[in-house]
Amino acid sequence: MSKPIYDLVDQLPTRGITVMSLRALDFVIPKQWDNLVGFDHTIRTVTRETDPALVKQIAERAIALYNDKSQGYQRALWLYQTVDSASGALGTAALVNKIGQDISFLGVLKNLTPKPEKAQTLDLCVKLVVELVAFCQINGIPGDSIGDFLKALADYSGESLMRMAALVCFDGLVPLGPSFAAKGLQTLKSMQPSDLTQNSTFKAVGSMIPGDSPKGQLHFVTESVESTRGWMEKFVASKNLTPDAVVDNLSKFVDVSKDKFDYVGAFLDMYSKYYEHTGIQTLARRLIERAVAEI
Amino acid sequence: MAAMRWRTVLASLLLSMVLLTGACSTQAPSPYESIQQETTGRNAPAAVSREALAGSNFNRFFPASANGFDVVPAQEKQGFAEYKLNQGGTTVAMLSINDTVSNPESAQKFADSTEQIAGYPTVDIGSQQTAILVSDRFQVKVQSRDDSFVRGDRVAWLEQFDLSGLSRLE
Repeated sequence: MSKPIYDLVDQLPTRGITVMSLRALDFVIPKQWDNLVGFDHTIRTVTRETDPALVKQIAERAIALYNDKSQGYQRALWLYQTVDSASGALGTAALVNKIGQDISFLGVLKNLTPKPEKAQTLDLCVKLVVELVAFCQINGIPGDSIGDFLKALADYSGESLMRMAALVCFDGLVPLGPSFAAKGLQTLKSMQPSDLTQNSTFKAVGSMIPGDSPKGQLHFVTESVESTRGWMEKFVASKNLTPDAVVDNLSKFVDVSKDKFDYVGAFLDMYSKYYEHTGIQTLARRLIERAVAEI
Repeated sequence: MAAMRWRTVLASLLLSMVLLTGACSTQAPSPYESIQQETTGRNAPAAVSREALAGSNFNRFFPASANGFDVVPAQEKQGFAEYKLNQGGTTVAMLSINDTVSNPESAQKFADSTEQIAGYPTVDIGSQQTAILVSDRFQVKVQSRDDSFVRGDRVAWLEQFDLSGLSRLE
């Protein structure tokens, strides 16, 4: 059986590469993300209620809502978890012997392989679509509603905005350069549906992506990237983001070498589970917001 | 004799340490284990009733943005709709309507209500929430999310919902 929601939130890490790599992005969206962990603590923070009996009542409703599969919360979690592990799967086998040891950038460097640009571009696009689909699952909007997602994106804050900042920086800017969004779109437009179905990240989450055929799904992915391109480019421009600035800040928190630029993206792909981490935080927040309103 | 006694003392000390370490490393059971059990498994009751109205039915009864306050859609699930109330980019309150057919105990709390807003039974929950019950079924709630938004504001915003429209919802 999958883990209870309270365990997932209680067991979120407070240190390690995922947390430190996200802290490194504080310069992009200052004070937006404070790594909220612990189920009861999240309830108290979100609702501002402190009475233990009331906190328990909210928790119990939230747990019941999460466990009701028809409500879509478990599907959203699955999407966040799967897209993270699938995109980082490349090269995992080579690193199996490192498990349990301290991971250092230079220590694992020889086992890292930067992804081919096409695979990296597709990863970025699939992750973006996963955000859209998970958003719809959590907030109860039809799964192909790009317009509703775009409106909500403008109002993103906290851990959701941090997830998007990390997507733009770690999966876009660092591995693909400043024109990552245009590159993504160009790649998608020149692709055949079979290119999409052979991509390991897409393969993992494809069953949840709208479209009744690979052709339809490619169309949906393309349309999603096309619609969000403006938001991503504005985000980068408004914060004067460059790959150098991101890696420079990253090196203050995570042991990465600035001169091994190509490998930083591959390293983060392997060791930063930022989609799952912030995804659990978003999910918990929405569940709690609903639970406190319904009791 | 003295050596014997020391050995006994040492043995009991060691035993207590072993027991103590053992007790500390055993994780305390979560207070939520029983609700987890009750709400999982094949025969677990659904958290949301099939009879609950779709959240989209409630949208038209929410107040509109006005006077520097933005009413922004947040969630729309079966039996539930919620909007954020933003002022100058900060969320100061949450506005929601839910169908208590899924969790009738949330409607029962209004039985002890001694106050009314717009003619509907009213209760305060915790320190941040004020709610009313419409048609003995739909709970309309306003929650403060900022110190500047006090109970008087919650009451004022509850009055701005289209409550008579909601009361005619079948």
